[in-house]
Amino acid sequence: MTTLVKTEIPDQLWQQAQNMVEQGWIVNMDALIIEAMRRYLESHQQIINEQLIREDIDWGLHGKD
Amino acid sequence: MEKTKTIVIADAGPIIHLDELNSLELISDFDIVIVPETVWHEVQHHRPQALLHTKVNLIRHRAEYFSPQVNALTPFYTLHAGEQEALHLCLEFKNSLFLTDDTAAKLAAKNLGVTAHGTLGVLVRAIRQQTRSKSEVLELLRAIPTQTSLHIRAAFLAEIISDVEKNAK
Repeated sequence: MTTLVKTEIPDQLWQQAQNMVEQGWIVNMDALIIEAMRRYLESHQQIINEQLIREDIDWGLHGKD
Repeated sequence: MEKTKTIVIADAGPIIHLDELNSLELISDFDIVIVPETVWHEVQHHRPQALLHTKVNLIRHRAEYFSPQVNALTPFYTLHAGEQEALHLCLEFKNSLFLTDDTAAKLAAKNLGVTAHGTLGVLVRAIRQQTRSKSEVLELLRAIPTQTSLHIRAAFLAEIISDVEKNAK
């Protein structure tokens, strides 16, 4: 199942993405957008975010600098 | 309070969020606080008054060394221009501390062996550095949802506050 989305993308960003497709780095623009979104979601997961903040608090409480 | 010798490379998030809490001076005990050129522009756009703070000497600096490691990690972590420049500077200034509130930027920093912390760490550190009392820091933590643009899950913030209440001396 998929969802069709409509969005505005800055021209420069779109051009860069098109260049990547034209150079053969990725099969087409749909695949590029899906991959970009997947990577964004992977790297911004709540559990990771909160683990990093816990490490931050630990540094705040017990760090040396 | 003894001055630390750590060089700080600051991303826009902590500068903006600390300033929103009227607490930007909490990073003034670091000898050098570098703001990458791209980050400077971001802060100038979103919170220009932070750059005029009288008690914090923010040094505007453009990266001159561009690490292939950072370039390689950029698409993987979808790093913004400011985060990229900050990480380039972190590799240029060895043993520097990267201040960022962005999860992907923190993960990229870990990957590069760069120490990274964020706004909450700086706030809690103020108790250890004796620049703020425990009750003052707890008050700042409670003010995050209403006074800042830093997004944090309410229940998680409550956990952090409880942790600090229990463990801060």
